[in-house]
Parts: sequence; structure tokens; C-alpha cells
Amino acid sequence: MAAGERVAVVGASGAGKSTLLNVLNGTVVPTAGTVEVLGRDPSALRGRELRQVRARTGTVHQHLELTGALRVVHNVNAGRLGSWSAARAAWSLLRPQGVPEVRAALDRVGLADRVFERTDRLSGGQRQRVALARLLVQRPDLVLADEPASALDPALADLALELLGEPARSRGGALLVCLHDPALALRHCDRVVGLLDGRVALDAPATSLTLADLERFYGVVR
Amino acid sequence: MTAVLAPPGPRPRLRRDRRRWVWGAGAVAVVVWSLAGAGLFSGPVVNPAGLRQFGRFASAALSPALDAEFLAVLGRATLVTVAYAASGTALALVLGALGAGVVARTTWGRRRTGWTAARGLLALPRGLHEAVWGLLLVNVLGLDPWVGVLAIGIPYGAITAKVFADLLDEVPRGSYEALLAAGAGRATASLYGLLPPAAGGLLSYSFYRLECAVRSAVVLGLIGAGGLGYQLALSFASLRWDEVWTAVFALAALCALADVGGRAVRRRVADPRPAGEDRPSRDRLLTTAVLGSVALVAWSWWYLALTPATLTSAGTLEQLSYVLGAAWPPATDGDLLGAIASAAVDTLQMSVIAIALATAGAVLLSGLAARRPGAGPGRWALGVATRWAFLVPRAVPPPVWALVLLFVLLPGVLPGALALGVYTLGVLGRLVAEATEELDSRPRDALRAAGASPLGGWLYGVLPVLSGPVLALGLYRWEVAIRDTVLVGLLGAGGIGVLLSGAIAAFDWPAVTTVLAAIVLVTLVVDLVGERARTALR
Repeated sequence: MAAGERVAVVGASGAGKSTLLNVLNGTVVPTAGTVEVLGRDPSALRGRELRQVRARTGTVHQHLELTGALRVVHNVNAGRLGSWSAARAAWSLLRPQGVPEVRAALDRVGLADRVFERTDRLSGGQRQRVALARLLVQRPDLVLADEPASALDPALADLALELLGEPARSRGGALLVCLHDPALALRHCDRVVGLLDGRVALDAPATSLTLADLERFYGVVR
Repeated sequence: MTAVLAPPGPRPRLRRDRRRWVWGAGAVAVVVWSLAGAGLFSGPVVNPAGLRQFGRFASAALSPALDAEFLAVLGRATLVTVAYAASGTALALVLGALGAGVVARTTWGRRRTGWTAARGLLALPRGLHEAVWGLLLVNVLGLDPWVGVLAIGIPYGAITAKVFADLLDEVPRGSYEALLAAGAGRATASLYGLLPPAAGGLLSYSFYRLECAVRSAVVLGLIGAGGLGYQLALSFASLRWDEVWTAVFALAALCALADVGGRAVRRRVADPRPAGEDRPSRDRLLTTAVLGSVALVAWSWWYLALTPATLTSAGTLEQLSYVLGAAWPPATDGDLLGAIASAAVDTLQMSVIAIALATAGAVLLSGLAARRPGAGPGRWALGVATRWAFLVPRAVPPPVWALVLLFVLLPGVLPGALALGVYTLGVLGRLVAEATEELDSRPRDALRAAGASPLGGWLYGVLPVLSGPVLALGLYRWEVAIRDTVLVGLLGAGGIGVLLSGAIAAFDWPAVTTVLAAIVLVTLVVDLVGERARTALR
């Protein structure tokens, strides 16, 4: 992937989309081959260096992986744990730090009134937006997102992909996003990669593809 | 219309789960063996001569000592007990929090050997009763308030470490690993991903420990640490029954207070209030409880005049090295080992009788004790009375029950076993009643609506569902009872505790080591059997 590129990964369930993301953010070590993320191989890094690469990689997980028992403000602030010291992180749980940035991030996803709500009291779509706000305060260079719009209505889904693509468009970052909605993929990405049983079966610029091309990947035969 | 039915196949037989039957039959056999060992089937166990004395003791319940002088003494004693309980719990929580990191699966990951070894290290502090720790520590520290604090803090710290570690291990990993993947350090990721989901459980357990510590502080008083237990023992020894009863009521009130407070906190943790709109609102009750407890600990520290210097003074270290040096190698002569073996059997039998009695009693009474919304005023009053009646047995430490029972029973295993049984009934009765309250009441209501009698409704709608949790609770309390049996023995009611107090009194340190090893072994065996039985019941 080049700097500034936004790539959509499409493929049926079980094609290997989530695994690809986990390999890229370093939580899964590849059994064969090597990965290079932000110029480094995460499986070869340890300690501080690994944390630095990870802090520059922002992930929106398929199951979000928010801490339900924490208030929204802490879950958003969790995006900054890679750069905060342990002491500051601990103090923030008592006296929330950087509330203005958190509020601004939540404002962009339309959740500004829920700053101090407990996260497990939110609906699925609201939680998805909390995960987006976490990414906004993390300000990563590489954004990895697994079905980030699955519980959002069409307008919010467009907004979500808009926000996720921002580092790629404005700062020379990159976006790799797994999507089930071919229309979203074509609207928001420059390039589409199709996975079939763990192998790349399609790799083309978004402009050269039509909705029908993509739907074939999900086994929808018209 | 005629329908052609398939020819009937072989009739399904009533199948019984063999594993459960083996456990059940084994349990019955062990109970019978224990009763035989207690001499129930061989000669008299009741001492008719003591009935008059028992009557005098019982009637004094209606006229407790209420003179100002004694009440003032009792008030000061209560403060001492509370101070020991609070500072002991504080120490236990600190040790537990540190220890939890060491014994949590999260720390060890796939290194099973290390994890097993770390868990094994907890067996020693956990296997010894607070009173045993008290007696050992007195010999190192002399008469210092630290004895009481450490005697509660060390064993409680080990249990707390295990429970805290389990609570943390049960938290789903996803959020923690997502934080690691986003570049957070392990400590920070635990702080944001593991602790918040576990926080409620940790807080609840901490307050539960405080409740238990009140009872333990009373027991330590019995062996001389001062406070309510000490006062109770003094009044008992001078045959002042009216004073004994005042102390018993004070104990019951203190335990009730701890129960009610702890319950309120635990309920609130389980069902938190919704948050405020645009600023973080904290739960008043929880904030008050936590700040109040911190203040209580600070006050206890001051009230008991604890100085850390005592722990590291030259005298303490010298005495410690002397005791440790004298205690190794352990005594292995045949007489001692024989005595230990027979005392261990007595101890085991006492605990079995106690737990059988308590479980049966708790199941029979739990139907009365459980809160049932919508029942009539008579049923309500009966419920309140039963719940209060459970309070006295569990507020009075088992050794005191043993002394009371010795009025009417001949010395031996039985008074100790019954004393422990009465005490455990108090604890188990409450636990089983709570388990009953949590049951779905609809099956029973449906049976009642179909015309079943109250007993029928209970047998078909409650007991089948209740038996699993009750047996699990009973087995868990058996593990506690085996430790308490040692305590009852320490104060003379037979079993392995008698050997221990004898060896400590004679400063026979090699024998002390052997007896302690035997105690830890017996508790480990009981823990293991309990664990296996619980798995079989699941």
C-alpha cells in the first residue's frame, strides 16, 4: 500500500479479512511470509519499538473491544494510552484528562452528549461511534477497520468512512478497511482487494469496478 | 381418523448418573463413619448432670447484664475488635492485590508450571486458621497489636490474592488485547481493559472480607488479642452468664451491621445508578463507603498504636530466626505421628458431622428464611424471625458454642462437631436463603396454582433447582469448616488443634512444624475432594 491510499478489502465471511487485519496490527504472527507495517516488521519488534509502531496503527475491531464498564470518556481516551505514561493513564481514570479533545471527537461522530455515560449503556451503533472517536484522538497514520459501519445507518456509515479515510487523504497515512457493503467500498476507497479462501482474487482501482463485480465476491449471483 | 403408530421400541430406562451416585453413596458412608467415630452408637454422649447449669445459662439470655460499667467495658472491647478487623482487612487487600498479579493466569500466560507453583505457594498461608497464625506470631512478636493484624492479614491476603486473580482472569480478553494492539503498555492496558470490568467484583469481595474479618477478630480475642472475644471468654470463665449474653448480643449486632453494610454496597455494585448528563457523577453510597473505610483503617492504625518499627526491630528478627531455626528439622518420632494420625481422623470426622448437620438444617430452614414478595404478614414475620435466628449462631465463634455444649455433652469429638455445626448452620442458612431468593419463582407458583401443597410446590419447584447450588455451598463451607475445626481444637475440643496448642505451649518447635504440615495436608485433601465433588455435581 502506498501513502495516501485507501484500500477496501472485500470477501465472503471466513475469507480471511479479519486475520489480515490482525496480522497487520501485530496481534497475530504470520505462520509464513513477512509483513512490513509502517516500514517495520511488527513480529520482529519488542518493547518500546513495538509500542511505537502500534501507537501509529489505529484499529477499529469487528467486535469493537471497548471496555463496557468504563465511561465513554475513558474509552475514547484509551486511544491515547500508547503515548500517555502509566501514571497519567491512572490519574485520568479519577480526573478525566483532555476532555476538550474527547468532546470534539465525540462531537464529530454525533455523541457529544454521552461523554460521561457508561459505555455498556449505549446501543450497538453508538458504541461503534465511540470506537471511531477513540481512533480520532489516537490520530494514527495507518487505520485498520473491520466492518466499522455494520451497525450504522447509511448517513452515519458515510460519515464513518469519511473520518477513517482522513489520515490517508490529508496526512499521507493509509486506510485498510474490510467492508460488506460494496457501494461504500466504491464510494470511499481508491482500490479494492478481494479475498477468496485466504488468497487475493481481485486487486483493482475502484474506478474500474462496478457494483456487480463486487457482489460476485459475496456469492450473490444475479 | 386412524393413525398408524410406529411399533413401540424398547422402553427407555430410568438412567441414573453413576458418578453422582458414587459421590452420594460415598458422602453417606463418610457421615455414618464420622458419627460412629464420635461415639454416637457406642455408649452415652449426654451428661445429665450438666442440665441444671445449662438451664441457668439459657435463662440468663432474658436478663443480660446492662449496668453502665460493663457496657462501657464492652463498648471499648467492640472498638478494639473493629480496629483489628479493619486494619487486618486493609493489610489483606494490599497483600491480595500484590499477590493477585503474581498468581493470575494473565501474568503467566501459557507457562503452566510457573502458574501452578505460584498457586501452590498460597496453600500454606491459606491452610492455617487465623488463630493458628495468632499463636505462632505471639511467639515471634510477643504481645503486640501487630499479632492480631498480621494473623488476619496473612491468611486473608492469600485467599484474597486467589479470588482477585480469578476475578481478573474471568474478564473477557478482547478489550485488553485491543489496547495492547494500539500501543498501550501491559500495566496501562490492564488498568483500562481488565480492572474496570472486574472492579465491581473486587469491591464486593473486599467488603465481604471486612465482614468476615469482624468474626475473625472476635476469635483472635478468644486467644488473647483483646476485644469482644476476650471479654466473652473472661465472662465465660467467671461464670457470669448475664455478661456472656450481653457480649453475645453485642457480637450479633456488630455482625448484623457488617452484614447489612456489606450487602448494601454489594447490591449497589451489582446494579449501578445511571450516569449524569454532562459531568461525571459518582455514586454517593459507594463513595461514602470507600472513603469511610479508608478513614476507619487510618483510625484503627492510630487506635491500635501500630508502629512498623516493631516488625523490623532487632528483637523480632532474632526471635524469628530462633523459632525458624528450632522448627527445622520437623519431629518424626512414631508416637507423635501416631497421635497426629488419630487426631487428623477426629478432625475430619468433626468437620463432616458439622457440615452434614449444617447443610440439612439450612435446607430445611431456608424455605422459611427466604424473602418472598407477596406473602402474608405471618409468613413475613416468620421469615424475619428465622433470618435473625441465623444471626446468633454465626455471630458466636464456634469455640464458645463448644463450651456451651460441654454443659450437656460428655467431652469428645461430638461437642466440637456440634458447635461447628451450629455455627456453620448460621452461615449456610443465610447463604441458602439468598440462593433461594434468587431462584425463578414461576415454576413453583405454577405448581401452587395447579393445587400443589406448599411442601409439594417446594419439593417439585424449588428443591430440584436448589440442590446444585446448595451442595456447592455446602462443599465450600466444608473447606472452611476443616480450618475452623483446628480452631475448636486449639481451645480444647479435640482433634488436631489440641496437639498444636500443646506443642506451642511447650515450645516444642519441631513438633509444631510436623503438626502444621499435617494441618496443611488435611486442608489440601479436603480442598481437593471438595473441588472434585463440585465438578462431578456440575
